[in-house]
Amino acid sequence: MTPQNRPKSGGGSPGSALQIRRARKEDLGAVADLIVRTKRLNNEFDPLFAVVPDAKAKAEKHVTGSIESIDRLLLVAAEGPKVVGVLRAEMRERLFYEPHMEGFITDFYILPEYRRKALGNEMIQRAATELKKMGAQIIVADVPAQNEIANRFYAKRGFRSLSNLVGMSP
Amino acid sequence: MPERREDSSKKALEYSRFYGGKVVVAPKVPVRSLEDFSIWYTPGVAAVSRAIEADADLSFEYTGRWNTVAVVTDGSRVLGLGNIGPEGALPVMEGKALIYNYLGGVNAIPLPIRAESKDTLVSFVKALEPSMGGVNLEDIESPKCFEILERLRSEMTIPVWHDDQQGTAGVTLAALFNALELTGRKLRGSKIVLFGAGAANIAAERLLVQAGANPRDLIVLDSKGILEPERDDMDKLMLRNRWKHDIALRTNGERVSGGLKEALSGADALVAAAGNGPELIKPDEIRMMNKKAIAFFLANPVPEMLPSAALAAGAEVVATGRSDYPNQVNNSLLFPAIFRGALDVRAKTITDSMVIEAAMELAAFAREKGISKKYIIPTMVQWEVYPQVAATVGQAAVKEGVARKKLSKKESLAAATETIEHSRKVMNALRRNGIILDPPE
Repeated sequence: MTPQNRPKSGGGSPGSALQIRRARKEDLGAVADLIVRTKRLNNEFDPLFAVVPDAKAKAEKHVTGSIESIDRLLLVAAEGPKVVGVLRAEMRERLFYEPHMEGFITDFYILPEYRRKALGNEMIQRAATELKKMGAQIIVADVPAQNEIANRFYAKRGFRSLSNLVGMSP
Repeated sequence: MPERREDSSKKALEYSRFYGGKVVVAPKVPVRSLEDFSIWYTPGVAAVSRAIEADADLSFEYTGRWNTVAVVTDGSRVLGLGNIGPEGALPVMEGKALIYNYLGGVNAIPLPIRAESKDTLVSFVKALEPSMGGVNLEDIESPKCFEILERLRSEMTIPVWHDDQQGTAGVTLAALFNALELTGRKLRGSKIVLFGAGAANIAAERLLVQAGANPRDLIVLDSKGILEPERDDMDKLMLRNRWKHDIALRTNGERVSGGLKEALSGADALVAAAGNGPELIKPDEIRMMNKKAIAFFLANPVPEMLPSAALAAGAEVVATGRSDYPNQVNNSLLFPAIFRGALDVRAKTITDSMVIEAAMELAAFAREKGISKKYIIPTMVQWEVYPQVAATVGQAAVKEGVARKKLSKKESLAAATETIEHSRKVMNALRRNGIILDPPE
């Protein structure tokens, strides 16, 4: 389960090594930006994921409580002080099913120039380890059905479709 | 200049009606008597067909395939007119075919087609392969044109060329080589701004890097500003225009963001292919550039900025796409010669390095004549340039192993000269004999 190659630093940056760590307070602005980018990317695949104008403020609120929470995880990939990737997850209880506890990935994003360098893989593995420590028996991720890039990413790493959320415009 | 344009518009309408088309399929064998048809047609021709059936490459020797190029468009981005449809594109493709014929001795066939999708266009062009020596794609909108060209280049074994990408980029490169030389610069280390991220500049970026420019010293702008890895719409570009997305990742080493002013700060050269001016670029923006700045304004018919304004703002070498200013960056300097050279060696493709070598030859030709601020690139009347560039292209194809026929440079030059001269002789003879009339006054 170790990634084959260490992530390299991004294209033009002077290149301090990438580090995956828990988010700190000072990261939150950048983290919120990246989360909004995820939502916009989802919208590129599906018009029912149109992003609200105040998405940034909502994203900040969404992540603020995730630092130092016992049932939430906020990981960042950072190059020096710069946040280049984010993964947010929370523990959820599955009321009627076994396994009972799931680590639920709500948001996951890496800046374009840090992709294709195994960083995504490393972040997922780190998240899995952390979530397991927090009691997760399975790891799930919320991905829009039309976002084929995200679906391919997870499928390649052994994730399979667990439930389908279906929708329509009435 | 508006007067000049009105005049040529009026004449174009009148003459087009008068002549009813600019090119025609004409015989090139004698018909001494109807007996000859038993040679040119059945039964004699069957032997030729059988020989070609056994070796398809013989079609380049026994038929006109060796010299025939289809000029294909879907009419989706014609000149500055936009999506005017295939019928609207026909007079333009006829004009292109005429230039191919007159300057390159190429038998070009105008073929605007109704193609609703990329796949239709791709399969049409692929289906043409058996009767063509090459295909010139023309006036297809961006970014669709990039994928179409990439697919056809990789799937076909005859040259496929999109003039709005490779042609414009190649001529730009030639002019830039000499402008850099004239201002004491090298390509490597020069900061070059490409304003406009359509067909021409997307191809120019690729050719510049392959010719030795450091991608980190290039900045490319589209209508939303400077392309850089953290621009808001990067994910959208990844899905809708991966060429721009990849350019954003590999260029702009200093991570400049913003607009033209920011991009031009400390830049050595500007290549604008962004849309009609004349005030799309402001003197203040040119003033941001380094001393002895190079500025190309390639939009037609109205350059992004008038040369006089750019010179007054401190630019040293200025070029446009127009023939009434010095330094015309004109595709017609390149595509007839590129195809002449490629066809003469039966090339399977036109690689980027063949285009770069052609650009270097074009630049060298002007240097031999003596370059100046007002002469960085040959003009169309210097017709000796065509066989020379053709020979260089032929040699590049042989060197790269994409030539079916391995001519020496001398043979290539002789072949190109002969074919181009022949085309001119035909034109002169047709005019002299009253078969092609001068237009009515």
